[in-house]
Amino acid sequence: MASVSLRGIKKQYEKNSVIKGVDLDIADGEFVVFVGPSGCGKSTLLRIVAGLEDITEGTLEIGGRVANDIEPARRGIAMVFQSYALYPHMSVAENMGFALKLAKVPKAEIAERVGRAAEILQIGHLLERKPKALSGGQRQRVAIGRAIVRKPEVFLFDEPLSNLDAALRGQTRVELARLHRELKSTMIYVTHDQVEAMTLGQKIVVLNGGRIEQVGTPSDLYERPANKFVAGFLGSPRMNFFDATLVKQGARSATVELAGGERVEVAADVARAQAGARVTLGVRPEHLQLARPGLEGGGIAATVALVEYLGDVTLVYAQAGEGGDMVAVKTDADSAPPALGSRVELVFPATRAFLFDEQGAVFAPGWVASTAEAMA
Amino acid sequence: MSVRFHIARSQLGWTVAAVVASVVLAALWLFPLLWALSTALRPEHETVSAVFHWLPQTWTLDAFTRTLGAGNVPRWLFNSALVAFLVTVVTMAISLMAAYAFSQLRFRGRSLLFGLAMLAFLLPFEALLVPLFRTMHQLGMINSYAGLVLPQVVSPVVIYVFKQFFDAIPADFREAALMDGANPLRVLWSVYLPISGNIVWAMAIVTFIGAWNNFLWPFIIVTSNDMMTIPLGLTQTYDAFGVRYAQLMAAALLGALPVALAYVVFQRRVTQGFLAASGLKG
Amino acid sequence: METTTLTPVVTKARGEGRREGLPAALLLAPFGAAFLLFFLVPALHTFYMSLTESSLTRTSAFVGLANYATLVQDPSFWSSLWNTFYFALLTVIPLTAFGLLMALLVNRFVRFQSWLQGAFFLPYVLPISVMTLIADWMLQPSSGVINHLVGGQRAWLSDVHWALPAVAIGTIWWTVGFNMLMLLAGLRNIPGELYEAAALDGARGFTLFRAITWPALRPVVGTALLIQLIASLKVFGQTYILTSGGPYNTSRVTLHYMYETAFTQSDAGYAAAVAMAFMFVVIALSLLARVAARRAA
Repeated sequence: MASVSLRGIKKQYEKNSVIKGVDLDIADGEFVVFVGPSGCGKSTLLRIVAGLEDITEGTLEIGGRVANDIEPARRGIAMVFQSYALYPHMSVAENMGFALKLAKVPKAEIAERVGRAAEILQIGHLLERKPKALSGGQRQRVAIGRAIVRKPEVFLFDEPLSNLDAALRGQTRVELARLHRELKSTMIYVTHDQVEAMTLGQKIVVLNGGRIEQVGTPSDLYERPANKFVAGFLGSPRMNFFDATLVKQGARSATVELAGGERVEVAADVARAQAGARVTLGVRPEHLQLARPGLEGGGIAATVALVEYLGDVTLVYAQAGEGGDMVAVKTDADSAPPALGSRVELVFPATRAFLFDEQGAVFAPGWVASTAEAMA
Repeated sequence: MSVRFHIARSQLGWTVAAVVASVVLAALWLFPLLWALSTALRPEHETVSAVFHWLPQTWTLDAFTRTLGAGNVPRWLFNSALVAFLVTVVTMAISLMAAYAFSQLRFRGRSLLFGLAMLAFLLPFEALLVPLFRTMHQLGMINSYAGLVLPQVVSPVVIYVFKQFFDAIPADFREAALMDGANPLRVLWSVYLPISGNIVWAMAIVTFIGAWNNFLWPFIIVTSNDMMTIPLGLTQTYDAFGVRYAQLMAAALLGALPVALAYVVFQRRVTQGFLAASGLKG
Repeated sequence: METTTLTPVVTKARGEGRREGLPAALLLAPFGAAFLLFFLVPALHTFYMSLTESSLTRTSAFVGLANYATLVQDPSFWSSLWNTFYFALLTVIPLTAFGLLMALLVNRFVRFQSWLQGAFFLPYVLPISVMTLIADWMLQPSSGVINHLVGGQRAWLSDVHWALPAVAIGTIWWTVGFNMLMLLAGLRNIPGELYEAAALDGARGFTLFRAITWPALRPVVGTALLIQLIASLKVFGQTYILTSGGPYNTSRVTLHYMYETAFTQSDAGYAAAVAMAFMFVVIALSLLARVAARRAA
């Protein structure tokens, strides 16, 4: 059994509280991604699971046993380091077989296991080479191979793709997904790249400042973010945020007034707030549409400042109001982009916007309830 | 005349001066050894003859063969080799282990112990002669190989150099090895030592040279002619040879040969080692 | 490539607090044992002995500071101290000056570097007795090459005025390589761009040295001087072998005096006091030199 569970994990360095209380359950065979900005504690959490860091408070269980005091080598885990950490003086085969050699596994078996791992990763022709004679992508595969050979219950990846160039990254992502399907092992993957998180993770754990912001599947987090942080973290370009004031509350919708005076409607349950409360409106770039000014009903006036043509989409950046943030709009690349400096009105469906309170927590999106009702 | 010409001329002036200085100094510095060689290659009577000759009138290897035969020079060479070898091996072993502990392991009192070890610099070895002599006496190690070797293996310099080097190795290797199931000694042996190859060689050679050249301690601890090391034995040569300068020079050159060879062959490493060692005292 | 902001703290405390006391103890044990047995205990013993009346093999009565009192009034001690300082004076500055000159030359003639460097450094790797044998031979009154070159029949090593200087010159030949090496490293650390910029500004030759080389090299020169001072004060072998401290003890340095007191006169207690007193002198001088260097910087 290769489940991992963290209960009340806290970690402190001298006076710094780095992990402030984490509870998490990872099921056997799951591919879980820890994602978050620099300094959020995701690497520290991974290293805690690995046994490379002590736990100040809390319990770590691996495969059902309490693992707090078990040595790293005996936890049934293997780790792929960000820098690969390949022993420079050993050949690829020796690197991959080192752990087995230490465990006094017979040479024949070592050779067999190394050979099989090399096959899976297609590095069989590199077995006699030294790390410095390998490319970045090849080294990374050797690092993964070293982990596979040990047949661990849990694989730990510490930002394995960050040292690769963009093209190789995409390719390796696909391979990692294939690896997971083949080996069916539990994998914990740390990254700061939300694209990696979204594409690889079955379950994503968003961390910020030593705490979990939200746990869920990619679509959970993307379509139903629990707070402003998660909403702004996933998605590229980032969700657009507008400061607003709550004006009117409806049954499952609310009207808010923006800085420029426009009033827009959002499908959200704001029962717990009062009129006049300060809120944040969030709309993703792909849900905004450019309309000609003067259209009726809840648009935001803006001036086109920048147009970026990306081939499949065009990004239009518009300035809403004086000195406001740039609003990003994703439009179809086929249609003609608006001219720079032209005035536009940004409209969006009420069911595709979010409202967040002053602390950043989301107001339950109205469409969730209505969809659930419709399905009931 | 153009400015360029003047610049070139002043450069030329300096360069010529530099060349002259180099040649003169190099000649001055090589002269003693060359003169010793010239002396050693002539028959004994030529060394004290009334007429002075720069080069031997008769070239002969007599002095060398006699030196190797008389006195105890071959024995001393053997002693020096054995002692230097043992000192080097033991010093490397215990220093690597200590440096690894100081560098990579966490334990209470680490900086305190390290500071204490480095204190050994303040006190000159000479001040410890009498107590060391007594300790050796109590251990029954006077005039023995063990007595010769053991006090020389305490080398804070070597530990300091290794520690600095280990500190600079990325911790990822140690952690990967830890996850592979290696205990600290194994990590040192299988990972850190191979990575540190160069610096270990450099310090080993420097230690070897230092042990070979050590005069003071053998001088104190050795009481019989048989157990002398070369530096010590050479000072006894007056008794062995009387005033026979060709043989004396031959003995001196033979005593210098191993370390000189080591330097010539390993020049870069020796330089590296001495530089690293001086970093501490600076 | 992303690095967490925690990286500095993490690197310092990675694996912190783990149960590493035992492996550490095992790894430190061999060095610890040797250190204890062959340094710490003897050091403390020396200190203790200086407060006793002891022979070479037996420690006797505790006499407190009596040895030190004797020391302060002992003319032999003070003259040995004077000899030691004189020797240091004769060697420290020439060693640094020659070392600097050689470093500059080696640095300039990169093509012949290993040869030039080798010529200057080779004596340093030689055992002391090789140096003394050759020096003794060269300084022979009648058949020595020195007298052949300068004329006369002077017995340098038996001459009251020349014994110590002769040993000093031999020492310079023997140890200059080390200084050269240190200063060479210092020279190599000066970024080449500084010279290029200065050359473009029109500086050349001696100006370059004064404006760029010397300021950058000063700390290294200071360090070299300090190291050399301490090493020169600790001289023993050369004088012992070449002159036996003579003639009439005019070349007997302090460590030689200590050795004689301990092993020839078997007065180990007093010798220990000499050693301790000398150690304090060395430490005091080096601290003074450091302070002076810092002031000058």
